Amino acid sequence: MRNALRAEWTKACTSPGLPALLATMVVSMVALSAAVAAATDPLPGTDLPKLGLTGVLLGQAVVAVFGALVMGDEYATGLVTVTLTAVPRRSRVLAAKAVVVAGVLAAAATIAVAGSVLVARLLLPADVVAARPAVGSVLYLVLIGLLSLGIVTCVRSSAAGVGAVLALLYVLPIVTAAVADPAWQRHLRQIGPASAGLAVQATGADLDIGPWKGLGVLALWAAGALLAGAALLERRDA
Amino acid sequence: MINVNGLRKRFGAVTALDGMTFTVPAGQVTGFVGPNGAGKSTTMRVILGLDTADSGEALIGGRPYRELRNPLRHVGALLDASAVGPSRTARNHLLWLAHSQGLGARRVDEVLQEAGLTSVARRRVGGFSLGMRQRLGIAAALIGDPPALMLDEPFNGMDPEGIIWMRRFTRALADDGRAVLVSSHLMNELEDIADRVVVVGRGKVFADAGVAELLAAVSDGRVTVRTTAGGPAAAVLEAAVLAAGVGSVTPAGADALVVAGLSAEEIAGLLGRHGVPFSELTAHRATLEDAYLNLTRDAVEYRATVAGEGR
Repeated sequence: MRNALRAEWTKACTSPGLPALLATMVVSMVALSAAVAAATDPLPGTDLPKLGLTGVLLGQAVVAVFGALVMGDEYATGLVTVTLTAVPRRSRVLAAKAVVVAGVLAAAATIAVAGSVLVARLLLPADVVAARPAVGSVLYLVLIGLLSLGIVTCVRSSAAGVGAVLALLYVLPIVTAAVADPAWQRHLRQIGPASAGLAVQATGADLDIGPWKGLGVLALWAAGALLAGAALLERRDA
Repeated sequence: MINVNGLRKRFGAVTALDGMTFTVPAGQVTGFVGPNGAGKSTTMRVILGLDTADSGEALIGGRPYRELRNPLRHVGALLDASAVGPSRTARNHLLWLAHSQGLGARRVDEVLQEAGLTSVARRRVGGFSLGMRQRLGIAAALIGDPPALMLDEPFNGMDPEGIIWMRRFTRALADDGRAVLVSSHLMNELEDIADRVVVVGRGKVFADAGVAELLAAVSDGRVTVRTTAGGPAAAVLEAAVLAAGVGSVTPAGADALVVAGLSAEEIAGLLGRHGVPFSELTAHRATLEDAYLNLTRDAVEYRATVAGEGR
Protein backbone atom coordinates (compact mmCIF):
# COMPACT_ATOMS: atom_id res chain seq x y z
CA MET A 1 0.00 0.00 0.00
CA ARG A 2 2.85 2.38 0.75
CA ASN A 3 4.25 1.99 -2.76
CA ALA A 4 0.84 2.47 -4.33
CA LEU A 5 0.31 5.61 -2.27
CA ARG A 6 3.70 7.01 -3.20
CA ALA A 7 3.05 6.30 -6.88
CA GLU A 8 -0.32 8.07 -6.81
CA TRP A 9 1.19 11.00 -4.95
CA THR A 10 3.96 11.31 -7.56
CA LYS A 11 1.34 11.08 -10.31
CA ALA A 12 -0.74 13.88 -8.77
CA CYS A 13 2.34 16.07 -8.30
CA THR A 14 3.49 15.60 -11.88
CA SER A 15 0.13 16.21 -13.50
CA PRO A 16 0.25 19.86 -14.53
CA GLY A 17 -3.52 20.34 -14.66
CA LEU A 18 -4.24 19.48 -11.04
CA PRO A 19 -2.40 22.31 -9.21
CA ALA A 20 -4.06 24.80 -11.55
CA LEU A 21 -7.44 23.29 -10.75
CA LEU A 22 -6.80 23.63 -7.01
CA ALA A 23 -5.76 27.26 -7.45
CA THR A 24 -8.98 27.83 -9.39
CA MET A 25 -10.96 26.35 -6.53
CA VAL A 26 -9.34 28.59 -3.91
CA VAL A 27 -9.66 31.77 -5.97
CA SER A 28 -13.25 31.16 -7.10
CA MET A 29 -14.41 30.23 -3.60
CA VAL A 30 -12.86 33.24 -1.90
CA ALA A 31 -14.06 35.55 -4.69
CA LEU A 32 -17.66 34.34 -4.53
CA SER A 33 -17.71 34.49 -0.73
CA ALA A 34 -16.33 38.04 -0.89
CA ALA A 35 -18.79 39.13 -3.57
CA VAL A 36 -21.78 37.79 -1.64
CA ALA A 37 -20.55 39.25 1.64
CA ALA A 38 -20.01 42.64 0.03
CA ALA A 39 -23.27 42.71 -1.90
CA THR A 40 -25.72 41.67 0.80
CA ASP A 41 -27.10 43.85 3.49
CA PRO A 42 -28.02 41.07 5.86
CA LEU A 43 -31.26 41.26 7.79
CA PRO A 44 -31.10 40.48 11.47
CA GLY A 45 -31.32 36.75 11.99
CA THR A 46 -29.46 35.89 8.77
CA ASP A 47 -27.12 32.92 9.14
CA LEU A 48 -23.94 34.97 8.76
CA PRO A 49 -21.34 32.19 9.01
CA LYS A 50 -23.16 30.30 6.25
CA LEU A 51 -23.40 33.45 4.16
CA GLY A 52 -19.67 33.94 4.47
CA LEU A 53 -19.13 30.42 3.12
CA THR A 54 -21.27 30.86 -0.01
CA GLY A 55 -18.16 30.17 -2.11
CA VAL A 56 -18.47 26.48 -1.22
CA LEU A 57 -21.41 26.30 -3.65
CA LEU A 58 -19.01 27.10 -6.47
CA GLY A 59 -15.98 25.34 -5.02
CA GLN A 60 -17.84 22.03 -4.89
CA ALA A 61 -18.07 21.98 -8.70
CA VAL A 62 -14.31 22.44 -9.08
CA VAL A 63 -13.71 19.81 -6.42
CA ALA A 64 -15.98 17.39 -8.29
CA VAL A 65 -13.92 17.94 -11.44
CA PHE A 66 -10.70 17.36 -9.49
CA GLY A 67 -11.92 14.08 -8.00
CA ALA A 68 -13.10 12.98 -11.43
CA LEU A 69 -9.91 13.77 -13.33
CA VAL A 70 -7.70 11.81 -10.92
CA MET A 71 -9.31 8.63 -12.24
CA GLY A 72 -11.00 9.75 -15.46
CA ASP A 73 -7.79 10.97 -17.08
CA GLU A 74 -6.36 7.47 -16.80
CA TYR A 75 -9.27 6.04 -18.71
CA ALA A 76 -9.10 8.83 -21.29
CA THR A 77 -5.41 8.17 -22.05
CA GLY A 78 -5.33 4.41 -21.45
CA LEU A 79 -2.83 4.94 -18.65
CA VAL A 80 -5.08 2.88 -16.41
CA THR A 81 -3.71 -0.34 -17.94
CA VAL A 82 -0.20 0.69 -16.89
CA THR A 83 -1.45 1.61 -13.42
CA LEU A 84 -3.24 -1.71 -12.94
CA THR A 85 -0.23 -3.60 -14.27
CA ALA A 86 2.01 -1.84 -11.73
CA VAL A 87 -0.47 -2.37 -8.87
CA PRO A 88 -2.62 -5.40 -9.73
CA ARG A 89 -4.48 -5.24 -6.41
CA ARG A 90 -6.95 -2.81 -7.83
CA SER A 91 -8.71 -1.78 -4.63
CA ARG A 92 -5.33 -0.53 -3.50
CA VAL A 93 -5.10 1.74 -6.50
CA LEU A 94 -8.47 3.27 -5.65
CA ALA A 95 -7.63 3.50 -1.94
CA ALA A 96 -4.35 5.26 -2.75
CA LYS A 97 -6.13 7.68 -5.06
CA ALA A 98 -8.76 8.35 -2.38
CA VAL A 99 -6.07 9.15 0.20
CA VAL A 100 -4.30 11.51 -2.21
CA VAL A 101 -7.57 13.21 -3.22
CA ALA A 102 -8.63 13.59 0.43
CA GLY A 103 -5.27 14.92 1.55
CA VAL A 104 -4.82 17.38 -1.30
CA LEU A 105 -8.41 18.62 -1.10
CA ALA A 106 -8.25 18.98 2.68
CA ALA A 107 -5.23 21.24 2.30
CA ALA A 108 -6.66 23.30 -0.55
CA ALA A 109 -10.12 23.54 1.02
CA THR A 110 -8.62 24.70 4.32
CA ILE A 111 -6.94 27.57 2.50
CA ALA A 112 -10.10 28.40 0.56
CA VAL A 113 -12.36 28.25 3.61
CA ALA A 114 -9.92 30.27 5.72
CA GLY A 115 -9.79 32.88 2.96
CA SER A 116 -13.58 32.98 2.75
CA VAL A 117 -13.95 33.36 6.51
CA LEU A 118 -11.37 36.12 6.49
CA VAL A 119 -13.05 38.20 3.77
CA ALA A 120 -16.44 37.59 5.37
CA ARG A 121 -15.09 38.90 8.63
CA LEU A 122 -13.80 42.03 6.95
CA LEU A 123 -16.98 42.68 4.97
CA LEU A 124 -19.80 41.47 7.20
CA PRO A 125 -20.84 42.66 10.64
CA ALA A 126 -19.06 40.86 13.45
CA ASP A 127 -19.88 37.39 14.77
CA VAL A 128 -19.21 35.49 11.53
CA VAL A 129 -16.43 33.23 12.72
CA ALA A 130 -17.79 29.88 13.78
CA ALA A 131 -15.69 26.74 14.00
CA ARG A 132 -18.22 24.07 12.99
CA PRO A 133 -19.36 25.63 9.69
CA ALA A 134 -15.74 26.26 8.67
CA VAL A 135 -14.36 22.84 9.59
CA GLY A 136 -17.51 21.23 8.25
CA SER A 137 -17.12 23.02 4.90
CA VAL A 138 -13.60 21.64 4.51
CA LEU A 139 -14.86 18.12 5.21
CA TYR A 140 -17.82 18.70 2.88
CA LEU A 141 -15.52 19.56 -0.02
CA VAL A 142 -13.28 16.55 0.69
CA LEU A 143 -16.30 14.24 0.66
CA ILE A 144 -17.60 15.71 -2.61
CA GLY A 145 -14.18 14.99 -4.14
CA LEU A 146 -14.31 11.38 -2.93
CA LEU A 147 -17.89 10.97 -4.18
CA SER A 148 -16.75 12.15 -7.58
CA LEU A 149 -13.74 9.78 -7.56
CA GLY A 150 -16.02 6.86 -6.71
CA ILE A 151 -18.58 7.67 -9.38
CA VAL A 152 -15.97 8.15 -12.12
CA THR A 153 -14.41 4.80 -11.18
CA CYS A 154 -17.84 3.25 -11.78
CA VAL A 155 -18.51 4.96 -15.12
CA ARG A 156 -14.86 5.15 -16.37
CA SER A 157 -15.27 8.59 -17.92
CA SER A 158 -14.61 12.04 -16.48
CA ALA A 159 -17.38 13.65 -18.50
CA ALA A 160 -20.07 11.18 -17.48
CA GLY A 161 -18.86 11.16 -13.88
CA VAL A 162 -18.74 14.94 -13.51
CA GLY A 163 -22.16 15.16 -15.13
CA ALA A 164 -23.58 12.72 -12.58
CA VAL A 165 -21.99 14.53 -9.63
CA LEU A 166 -23.13 17.97 -10.81
CA ALA A 167 -26.63 16.61 -11.27
CA LEU A 168 -26.57 15.37 -7.67
CA LEU A 169 -25.22 18.71 -6.43
CA TYR A 170 -27.28 21.18 -8.45
CA VAL A 171 -30.20 19.43 -10.13
CA LEU A 172 -31.37 17.27 -7.24
CA PRO A 173 -32.00 20.35 -5.00
CA ILE A 174 -34.08 21.94 -7.80
CA VAL A 175 -36.07 18.74 -8.26
CA THR A 176 -36.50 18.57 -4.49
CA ALA A 177 -37.85 22.11 -4.40
CA ALA A 178 -40.39 21.22 -7.05
CA VAL A 179 -41.83 18.33 -5.04
CA ALA A 180 -45.28 19.36 -3.86
CA ASP A 181 -45.58 17.22 -0.74
CA PRO A 182 -43.70 18.98 2.10
CA ALA A 183 -42.95 15.76 3.96
CA TRP A 184 -41.38 14.22 0.87
CA GLN A 185 -39.50 17.40 0.19
CA ARG A 186 -38.04 17.24 3.68
CA HIS A 187 -37.05 13.59 3.23
CA LEU A 188 -35.32 14.39 -0.05
CA ARG A 189 -33.41 17.23 1.61
CA GLN A 190 -32.34 14.79 4.32
CA ILE A 191 -30.93 12.26 1.88
CA GLY A 192 -29.61 14.50 -0.93
CA PRO A 193 -25.80 14.68 -0.73
CA ALA A 194 -25.64 18.46 -1.16
CA SER A 195 -28.62 19.50 0.95
CA ALA A 196 -27.76 17.10 3.78
CA GLY A 197 -24.04 17.79 3.62
CA LEU A 198 -24.43 21.56 3.67
CA ALA A 199 -26.43 21.33 6.90
CA VAL A 200 -23.01 21.38 8.54
CA GLN A 201 -22.72 25.08 7.66
CA ALA A 202 -26.00 26.07 9.26
CA THR A 203 -26.06 27.85 12.58
CA GLY A 204 -29.75 28.81 12.55
CA ALA A 205 -32.59 26.77 13.96
CA ASP A 206 -35.22 24.74 12.10
CA LEU A 207 -32.95 22.32 10.26
CA ASP A 208 -34.07 19.33 8.23
CA ILE A 209 -31.19 17.31 9.57
CA GLY A 210 -28.55 17.86 12.27
CA PRO A 211 -25.28 19.37 11.01
CA TRP A 212 -23.01 16.39 11.68
CA LYS A 213 -25.71 13.90 10.83
CA GLY A 214 -26.10 15.71 7.49
CA LEU A 215 -22.38 15.47 6.82
CA GLY A 216 -22.66 11.81 7.77
CA VAL A 217 -25.24 11.32 5.00
CA LEU A 218 -22.79 12.76 2.48
CA ALA A 219 -20.06 10.52 3.89
CA LEU A 220 -22.32 7.52 3.24
CA TRP A 221 -22.79 8.68 -0.36
CA ALA A 222 -19.02 8.97 -0.82
CA ALA A 223 -18.31 5.64 0.85
CA GLY A 224 -21.02 3.96 -1.23
CA ALA A 225 -19.61 5.37 -4.48
CA LEU A 226 -16.05 4.32 -3.57
CA LEU A 227 -17.12 0.79 -2.58
CA ALA A 228 -19.13 0.38 -5.78
CA GLY A 229 -16.14 1.71 -7.74
CA ALA A 230 -13.78 -0.72 -6.00
CA ALA A 231 -16.07 -3.68 -6.64
CA LEU A 232 -16.44 -2.83 -10.34
CA LEU A 233 -12.70 -2.13 -10.69
CA GLU A 234 -11.89 -5.56 -9.24
CA ARG A 235 -14.42 -7.44 -11.31
CA ARG A 236 -14.27 -5.84 -14.73
CA ASP A 237 -11.63 -6.35 -17.39
CA ALA A 238 -9.40 -3.29 -17.36
CA MET B 1 9.55 -18.07 -17.31
CA ILE B 2 5.95 -17.57 -18.41
CA ASN B 3 3.50 -20.48 -18.62
CA VAL B 4 0.21 -20.16 -20.44
CA ASN B 5 -2.06 -23.14 -20.03
CA GLY B 6 -5.38 -23.69 -21.75
CA LEU B 7 -6.64 -20.09 -21.73
CA ARG B 8 -10.17 -19.62 -22.97
CA LYS B 9 -12.04 -16.37 -23.21
CA ARG B 10 -15.13 -15.17 -25.01
CA PHE B 11 -16.23 -11.61 -25.66
CA GLY B 12 -19.93 -12.03 -26.26
CA ALA B 13 -20.26 -14.21 -29.35
CA VAL B 14 -16.58 -13.90 -30.27
CA THR B 15 -14.15 -16.54 -29.04
CA ALA B 16 -10.93 -14.61 -28.40
CA LEU B 17 -8.94 -17.42 -26.79
CA ASP B 18 -9.62 -21.04 -27.51
CA GLY B 19 -7.24 -23.11 -25.40
CA MET B 20 -4.10 -20.98 -25.81
CA THR B 21 -1.14 -22.93 -24.44
CA PHE B 22 2.61 -22.23 -24.63
CA THR B 23 5.65 -21.41 -22.52
CA VAL B 24 8.21 -18.64 -22.77
CA PRO B 25 11.52 -20.07 -21.54
CA ALA B 26 14.35 -18.03 -20.06
CA GLY B 27 17.24 -16.94 -22.24
CA GLN B 28 15.28 -17.07 -25.47
CA VAL B 29 13.29 -14.74 -27.66
CA THR B 30 9.95 -16.38 -28.31
CA GLY B 31 8.14 -14.92 -31.29
CA PHE B 32 4.37 -14.71 -30.95
CA VAL B 33 3.00 -14.54 -34.45
CA GLY B 34 -0.38 -14.52 -36.03
CA PRO B 35 -2.76 -12.30 -37.96
CA ASN B 36 -4.47 -9.37 -36.29
CA GLY B 37 -7.27 -10.65 -34.11
CA ALA B 38 -5.60 -14.01 -33.45
CA GLY B 39 -5.61 -13.38 -29.70
CA LYS B 40 -2.04 -12.21 -29.12
CA SER B 41 -2.89 -9.02 -27.24
CA THR B 42 -5.69 -10.66 -25.29
CA THR B 43 -3.29 -13.41 -24.19
CA MET B 44 -0.83 -10.80 -22.96
CA ARG B 45 -3.58 -8.91 -21.15
CA VAL B 46 -4.66 -12.12 -19.42
CA ILE B 47 -1.06 -12.88 -18.42
CA LEU B 48 -0.88 -9.38 -16.88
CA GLY B 49 -4.13 -9.81 -14.98
CA LEU B 50 -5.82 -7.01 -16.95
CA ASP B 51 -8.41 -9.37 -18.44
CA THR B 52 -9.73 -12.46 -16.72
CA ALA B 53 -9.84 -15.70 -18.68
CA ASP B 54 -12.99 -17.82 -18.56
CA SER B 55 -10.76 -20.83 -17.87
CA GLY B 56 -7.13 -21.85 -17.93
CA GLU B 57 -4.22 -20.18 -16.19
CA ALA B 58 -1.26 -17.94 -16.88
CA LEU B 59 1.69 -18.08 -14.50
CA ILE B 60 4.79 -15.92 -14.11
CA GLY B 61 7.52 -17.93 -12.40
CA GLY B 62 4.77 -20.24 -11.11
CA ARG B 63 2.43 -17.58 -9.75
CA PRO B 64 -0.56 -15.70 -11.16
CA TYR B 65 0.23 -12.07 -11.94
CA ARG B 66 -2.26 -10.56 -9.53
CA GLU B 67 -0.59 -12.35 -6.63
CA LEU B 68 2.84 -10.86 -7.32
CA ARG B 69 4.22 -8.21 -5.01
CA ASN B 70 5.90 -5.47 -7.02
CA PRO B 71 4.99 -7.32 -10.23
CA LEU B 72 7.15 -5.16 -12.49
CA ARG B 73 10.15 -6.78 -10.81
CA HIS B 74 8.92 -10.15 -12.14
CA VAL B 75 7.76 -9.26 -15.63
CA GLY B 76 7.86 -6.09 -17.68
CA ALA B 77 5.44 -5.42 -20.49
CA LEU B 78 5.00 -3.07 -23.39
CA LEU B 79 1.37 -3.29 -24.44
CA ASP B 80 0.15 -0.01 -25.88
CA ALA B 81 2.90 2.57 -26.20
CA SER B 82 0.42 5.42 -26.49
CA ALA B 83 -1.12 4.62 -23.09
CA VAL B 84 0.67 7.38 -21.19
CA GLY B 85 -0.42 10.69 -19.77
CA PRO B 86 0.57 13.14 -22.54
CA SER B 87 1.16 16.05 -20.19
CA ARG B 88 3.67 14.23 -18.02
CA THR B 89 7.35 14.19 -18.95
CA ALA B 90 9.04 10.91 -19.83
CA ARG B 91 11.01 11.03 -16.60
CA ASN B 92 7.98 11.73 -14.42
CA HIS B 93 6.04 8.91 -16.08
CA LEU B 94 8.84 6.50 -15.20
CA LEU B 95 9.18 8.07 -11.75
CA TRP B 96 5.69 7.20 -10.54
CA LEU B 97 6.12 3.75 -12.06
CA ALA B 98 9.39 3.30 -10.14
CA HIS B 99 7.73 4.50 -6.93
CA SER B 100 4.94 1.96 -7.39
CA GLN B 101 7.57 -0.80 -7.20
CA GLY B 102 9.48 0.67 -4.28
CA LEU B 103 12.25 1.90 -6.59
CA GLY B 104 13.82 5.32 -6.80
CA ALA B 105 14.89 7.99 -9.24
CA ARG B 106 18.26 6.34 -9.85
CA ARG B 107 16.59 3.39 -11.57
CA VAL B 108 14.61 5.84 -13.71
CA ASP B 109 17.79 7.44 -14.99
CA GLU B 110 19.26 4.01 -15.74
CA VAL B 111 16.33 2.88 -17.89
CA LEU B 112 16.16 6.25 -19.66
CA GLN B 113 19.79 5.68 -20.61
CA GLU B 114 19.18 2.09 -21.72
CA ALA B 115 16.29 3.16 -23.93
CA GLY B 116 18.24 6.08 -25.36
CA LEU B 117 15.85 8.70 -23.99
CA THR B 118 18.15 10.66 -21.69
CA SER B 119 18.18 13.73 -23.92
CA VAL B 120 14.36 13.96 -24.05
CA ALA B 121 13.72 12.82 -20.46
CA ARG B 122 12.27 16.17 -19.42
CA ARG B 123 10.07 16.63 -22.47
CA ARG B 124 6.35 15.98 -22.34
CA VAL B 125 5.30 12.62 -23.72
CA GLY B 126 2.50 14.25 -25.72
CA GLY B 127 5.11 15.54 -28.17
CA PHE B 128 6.76 12.14 -28.68
CA SER B 129 6.65 10.26 -31.98
CA LEU B 130 5.30 6.71 -31.86
CA GLY B 131 8.87 5.43 -32.12
CA MET B 132 9.89 7.47 -29.07
CA ARG B 133 6.85 6.23 -27.20
CA GLN B 134 7.89 2.66 -28.01
CA ARG B 135 11.27 3.42 -26.45
CA LEU B 136 9.53 4.90 -23.41
CA GLY B 137 7.42 1.74 -23.23
CA ILE B 138 10.62 -0.32 -23.26
CA ALA B 139 12.07 1.83 -20.49
CA ALA B 140 8.87 1.29 -18.48
CA ALA B 141 9.02 -2.48 -19.07
CA LEU B 142 12.60 -2.55 -17.79
CA ILE B 143 11.98 -0.42 -14.70
CA GLY B 144 11.94 -3.39 -12.30
CA ASP B 145 14.82 -5.19 -14.06
CA PRO B 146 12.50 -8.18 -14.56
CA PRO B 147 13.55 -11.70 -15.60
CA ALA B 148 10.69 -11.84 -18.11
CA LEU B 149 9.47 -9.37 -20.73
CA MET B 150 6.47 -9.18 -23.03
CA LEU B 151 6.51 -6.78 -25.95
CA ASP B 152 3.34 -6.39 -28.02
CA GLU B 153 4.15 -5.29 -31.58
CA PRO B 154 7.25 -3.33 -30.47
CA PHE B 155 8.27 -2.50 -34.06
CA ASN B 156 5.05 -0.64 -34.85
CA GLY B 157 5.64 2.97 -35.80
CA MET B 158 9.43 2.76 -35.57
CA ASP B 159 11.70 4.15 -38.24
CA PRO B 160 14.30 1.77 -39.78
CA GLU B 161 16.97 2.88 -37.33
CA GLY B 162 14.55 2.30 -34.45
CA ILE B 163 13.69 -1.16 -35.75
CA ILE B 164 17.36 -2.13 -35.89
CA TRP B 165 17.81 -0.80 -32.35
CA MET B 166 14.74 -2.67 -31.12
CA ARG B 167 15.88 -5.94 -32.71
CA ARG B 168 19.36 -5.72 -31.19
CA PHE B 169 17.90 -4.70 -27.86
CA THR B 170 15.40 -7.55 -27.78
CA ARG B 171 18.12 -10.05 -28.67
CA ALA B 172 20.40 -8.66 -25.95
CA LEU B 173 17.66 -9.00 -23.34
CA ALA B 174 17.37 -12.72 -24.08
CA ASP B 175 21.15 -13.13 -24.18
CA ASP B 176 21.13 -11.71 -20.64
CA GLY B 177 19.08 -14.78 -19.67
CA ARG B 178 15.63 -13.18 -19.68
CA ALA B 179 12.49 -14.81 -21.03
CA VAL B 180 11.30 -12.56 -23.86
CA LEU B 181 7.97 -12.80 -25.68
CA VAL B 182 7.68 -10.59 -28.76
CA SER B 183 4.44 -10.47 -30.69
CA SER B 184 4.14 -9.47 -34.30
CA HIS B 185 1.75 -9.95 -37.17
CA LEU B 186 4.71 -9.92 -39.53
CA MET B 187 6.93 -12.99 -39.39
CA ASN B 188 9.86 -11.29 -41.11
CA GLU B 189 10.18 -8.82 -38.21
CA LEU B 190 11.23 -11.74 -36.07
CA GLU B 191 13.81 -13.08 -38.52
CA ASP B 192 17.22 -13.40 -36.88
CA ILE B 193 16.01 -12.45 -33.39
CA ALA B 194 13.58 -15.20 -32.41
CA ASP B 195 14.82 -18.56 -31.15
CA ARG B 196 11.34 -20.03 -31.22
CA VAL B 197 8.04 -19.02 -32.67
CA VAL B 198 4.56 -19.66 -31.40
CA VAL B 199 2.21 -19.28 -34.37
CA VAL B 200 -1.37 -18.52 -33.39
CA GLY B 201 -4.65 -18.08 -35.15
CA ARG B 202 -8.20 -17.82 -33.87
CA GLY B 203 -7.22 -17.99 -30.24
CA LYS B 204 -5.07 -21.08 -30.32
CA VAL B 205 -1.56 -22.21 -31.09
CA PHE B 206 -1.07 -24.07 -34.31
CA ALA B 207 2.69 -24.29 -34.31
CA ASP B 208 5.25 -23.98 -31.55
CA ALA B 209 8.73 -24.78 -32.74
CA GLY B 210 12.35 -23.73 -32.89
CA VAL B 211 13.20 -21.39 -35.72
CA ALA B 212 15.96 -23.65 -37.08
CA GLU B 213 13.54 -26.56 -37.20
CA LEU B 214 10.91 -24.49 -39.01
CA LEU B 215 13.38 -23.20 -41.56
CA ALA B 216 14.72 -26.70 -42.25
CA ALA B 217 11.18 -27.87 -42.96
CA VAL B 218 10.61 -25.36 -45.73
CA SER B 219 14.14 -25.11 -47.05
CA ASP B 220 14.21 -26.55 -50.60
CA GLY B 221 17.99 -26.24 -51.08
CA ARG B 222 17.82 -24.45 -54.42
CA VAL B 223 20.81 -22.52 -55.73
CA THR B 224 20.85 -19.87 -58.46
CA VAL B 225 23.91 -19.90 -60.74
CA ARG B 226 24.62 -16.73 -62.71
CA THR B 227 26.82 -17.46 -65.71
CA THR B 228 27.48 -16.29 -69.28
CA ALA B 229 28.20 -19.91 -70.28
CA GLY B 230 24.70 -21.23 -69.78
CA GLY B 231 25.02 -24.20 -72.13
CA PRO B 232 28.18 -25.81 -70.72
CA ALA B 233 27.13 -25.06 -67.18
CA ALA B 234 23.76 -26.75 -67.70
CA ALA B 235 25.45 -29.78 -69.23
CA VAL B 236 27.86 -30.21 -66.32
CA LEU B 237 25.20 -29.71 -63.65
CA GLU B 238 22.59 -31.92 -65.33
CA ALA B 239 25.12 -34.73 -65.44
CA ALA B 240 25.76 -34.32 -61.73
CA VAL B 241 22.06 -34.19 -60.92
CA LEU B 242 21.46 -37.35 -62.98
CA ALA B 243 24.30 -39.07 -61.15
CA ALA B 244 22.88 -38.04 -57.79
CA GLY B 245 19.42 -39.26 -58.75
CA VAL B 246 17.55 -36.26 -57.38
CA GLY B 247 17.31 -32.61 -58.33
CA SER B 248 16.84 -30.53 -61.42
CA VAL B 249 18.44 -27.76 -63.49
CA THR B 250 16.09 -25.08 -64.81
CA PRO B 251 17.04 -22.03 -66.88
CA ALA B 252 15.95 -18.78 -65.28
CA GLY B 253 16.33 -15.90 -67.69
CA ALA B 254 19.19 -15.35 -70.12
CA ASP B 255 22.14 -15.82 -67.80
CA ALA B 256 20.95 -17.85 -64.84
CA LEU B 257 20.15 -21.43 -63.87
CA VAL B 258 18.27 -22.62 -60.82
CA VAL B 259 19.67 -25.87 -59.48
CA ALA B 260 17.97 -28.19 -57.00
CA GLY B 261 19.60 -31.18 -55.38
CA LEU B 262 23.17 -29.85 -55.23
CA SER B 263 24.71 -27.64 -52.58
CA ALA B 264 26.39 -24.34 -53.48
CA GLU B 265 29.76 -25.87 -52.53
CA GLU B 266 29.24 -28.84 -54.85
CA ILE B 267 28.21 -26.58 -57.72
CA ALA B 268 31.22 -24.30 -57.26
CA GLY B 269 33.50 -27.37 -57.23
CA LEU B 270 31.95 -28.91 -60.36
CA LEU B 271 31.99 -25.72 -62.42
CA GLY B 272 35.55 -24.95 -61.33
CA ARG B 273 36.79 -28.45 -62.22
CA HIS B 274 35.20 -28.20 -65.69
CA GLY B 275 36.46 -24.70 -66.28
CA VAL B 276 33.00 -23.17 -66.67
CA PRO B 277 33.00 -19.50 -65.67
CA PHE B 278 30.30 -18.14 -63.36
CA SER B 279 29.83 -14.80 -61.68
CA GLU B 280 27.52 -15.61 -58.78
CA LEU B 281 26.11 -18.48 -56.72
CA THR B 282 23.12 -17.77 -54.51
CA ALA B 283 21.73 -20.36 -52.11
CA HIS B 284 18.00 -19.78 -51.60
CA ARG B 285 17.71 -19.34 -47.88
CA ALA B 286 14.27 -20.09 -46.58
CA THR B 287 12.84 -17.20 -44.61
CA LEU B 288 10.60 -17.30 -41.58
CA GLU B 289 7.98 -15.79 -43.85
CA ASP B 290 8.16 -18.94 -46.03
CA ALA B 291 7.87 -21.10 -42.93
CA TYR B 292 4.91 -19.09 -41.73
CA LEU B 293 3.13 -19.32 -45.06
CA ASN B 294 3.82 -23.05 -45.16
CA LEU B 295 2.35 -23.44 -41.68
CA THR B 296 -0.70 -21.32 -42.30
CA ARG B 297 -1.45 -22.57 -45.80
CA ASP B 298 -3.90 -25.16 -44.53
CA ALA B 299 -5.66 -22.67 -42.32
CA VAL B 300 -5.91 -20.13 -45.13
CA GLU B 301 -7.27 -22.72 -47.56
CA TYR B 302 -9.82 -23.73 -44.97
CA ARG B 303 -10.87 -20.13 -44.52
CA ALA B 304 -11.10 -19.55 -48.25
CA THR B 305 -13.28 -22.63 -48.66
CA VAL B 306 -15.58 -21.63 -45.85
CA ALA B 307 -15.88 -18.10 -47.22
CA GLY B 308 -16.62 -19.51 -50.71
CA GLU B 309 -19.31 -21.83 -49.42
CA GLY B 310 -20.88 -18.99 -47.54
CA ARG B 311 -21.70 -17.13 -50.72
